[in-house]
Amino acid sequence: MGEFINIFIKSAFIENMVLAYFLGMCSYLAVSKSVNTAFGLGLAVIFVLGVTMPINWLINEYLLSETGLFGQDLTFLRFILFIAVIASMVQLVEMVVEKFSPALYSALGIFLPLITVNCAILGGSLFMVSREYNLSNSIAFGLGGGFGWFLAIIAIAAIREKIRYSDVPPALRGLGMAFILTGLMGIAFMSLMGIDPAVFAGPK
Amino acid sequence: MKKALLNFFERIEPDKAKSPLLHTAYDAFFTFAFTPDTVTAKGVHIRDGMDLKRTMVTVVVALQLLYVFGTYNIGNQHFHALGMYTGTFEAIHLKIFYGLVKILPIFVVTHVVGLGVEFYYAAKKGHAVEEGFLVSGALIPLIMPPDIPLWILSVAIIFAVVIGKEAFGGTGMNILNIALLARVFVFFAYPTYISGDEVWIAGIEKVGAGAYAGQEYGGIYGILDSIFGSFGWATFGEGKQAVVDGFTGATPLGLAAKGGWAAVTEHYTVSDMWWGHIPGSIGETSKPLILLGALMLVFTKVADWRIMVSAIVGFVACGLMINGIAPDTFGPETDGIFKFMAVPWYYHFYMGSFFFAMAFMATDPVTGASTATGKWIYGFFIGFIGLIIRILNPAYPEGWMLAILFMNVFAPLIDHYVFEANVNRRAKRQAALAKARGEQ
Repeated sequence: MGEFINIFIKSAFIENMVLAYFLGMCSYLAVSKSVNTAFGLGLAVIFVLGVTMPINWLINEYLLSETGLFGQDLTFLRFILFIAVIASMVQLVEMVVEKFSPALYSALGIFLPLITVNCAILGGSLFMVSREYNLSNSIAFGLGGGFGWFLAIIAIAAIREKIRYSDVPPALRGLGMAFILTGLMGIAFMSLMGIDPAVFAGPK
Repeated sequence: MKKALLNFFERIEPDKAKSPLLHTAYDAFFTFAFTPDTVTAKGVHIRDGMDLKRTMVTVVVALQLLYVFGTYNIGNQHFHALGMYTGTFEAIHLKIFYGLVKILPIFVVTHVVGLGVEFYYAAKKGHAVEEGFLVSGALIPLIMPPDIPLWILSVAIIFAVVIGKEAFGGTGMNILNIALLARVFVFFAYPTYISGDEVWIAGIEKVGAGAYAGQEYGGIYGILDSIFGSFGWATFGEGKQAVVDGFTGATPLGLAAKGGWAAVTEHYTVSDMWWGHIPGSIGETSKPLILLGALMLVFTKVADWRIMVSAIVGFVACGLMINGIAPDTFGPETDGIFKFMAVPWYYHFYMGSFFFAMAFMATDPVTGASTATGKWIYGFFIGFIGLIIRILNPAYPEGWMLAILFMNVFAPLIDHYVFEANVNRRAKRQAALAKARGEQ
């Protein structure tokens, strides 16, 4: 349990997907114009990351590795299979959102299906493989990474709603400002970088 | 006197159409000397009919005692490290003039560079110069180490004012605190000049591995010496003295991070830390004077007491939590971080810059949360996260700068949800009222 919380905190705050690795920038910049849509997209990303991560772990462990079902090293199929899992999960989310919140569905537009190519999600799965997480670690990493992404996008959306009333120089309006903001938020998030949550468990 | 000054100002008023830059500069100094009959009309921080400049000047006035003490403390720490004039008031003229030689260039460069950028943008956009830099300019020298190279200071200020403020549309529109943004820029871009043990005491040079010596006095100090000598007072002399035995230059926090509270009390007494006779950034050390300034801000209602109180609450909550998980006994191999965690929370008030950050940085009305409930949340998390960074993050010696920037980012979000909750509550109340009326 300690390790679960440890990885969750680490992936949400200390190694934030957007502000430390700059992953998932496309939808982060495009959908952060209002807090309510950003909130919806953030929840969708939490769900997709949290669900695809353990599924991909299982696929990687029991289908693709040499000790798996086929007894052969099939890791060259990793990208295709991971993306397939992610795409099907996104389809599921899309159907659910369309059914229960048509307003959000139309607000998100093309960016909802584009979660599939949100590099935070594929990146998360690949991080999971390279860091050799186990199943519970990968669930924690998925939920934590998604939560960090969610926090980042609603924070920048609130700021962008606020600076709508500011006299921003014309050349910077829109995306230019969003990039500057992301950089400044990255500086602010550097505050937590370097904390090792393992100290909560006490000395070894 | 007043009339003569007004006449003088009217006589020298430059033509606005012919030389906009000159007129902008003139306007700035005119409104500084006199209350103009126009009040500030734009910006998110407007709360009453007072001109924004008066609000800002109140903050600047509250900082003056810190400037006086900071100037003295630069000299005091310098001579302390050399083992000379260890009495508080001994050779006070040397300490004050030494401090002045250090702080005046910082102060002047801060204002020339910062106001220069402001004037440039004001002239370019064709509006009167904005007052925003008054407070930032007063705060920046206080949060820098005394030996900061002036070119680094200039670069940092240009970054902070251009990227942090003018890109957002000028005074009152910035998201992050300008003074802290300038400091954080130095902190990440030139870390050797603003962190570590060797930067906090002015004029101590490293002359070998672990060996230090005082600086060589010359130039301006020679001139001062000839003045002091004519009065028969103590003089600077040649310089290059050896430092006292066991000198490290470490601040209380630097010591605590390695060896806990025991290591701190080896070098500093609690009263020294409370009154501010410790190395540190120029203005952050003296707690009573900071609290005095904070009280002034609270009574003039320039700063909000909610943020200060909730920051202390967050600080205490986090301190208790960390004390709770810290181990009780230490072996010889215990890491310094666990000893640091075991430092009782109330001792943390004596070290570092918590009070300064809480009183002057967190309460910035532009970058903080602006709703009452939001202020409680905002302040609480500043106290909580700041202490977490201070104790648990070995990469950074102190946490308030980063904690405040972190919460600056979330302040609009907090406000958004406070507003939304308020709207929902009122809508519900109206619906209930309408229903009650309908049933009658």
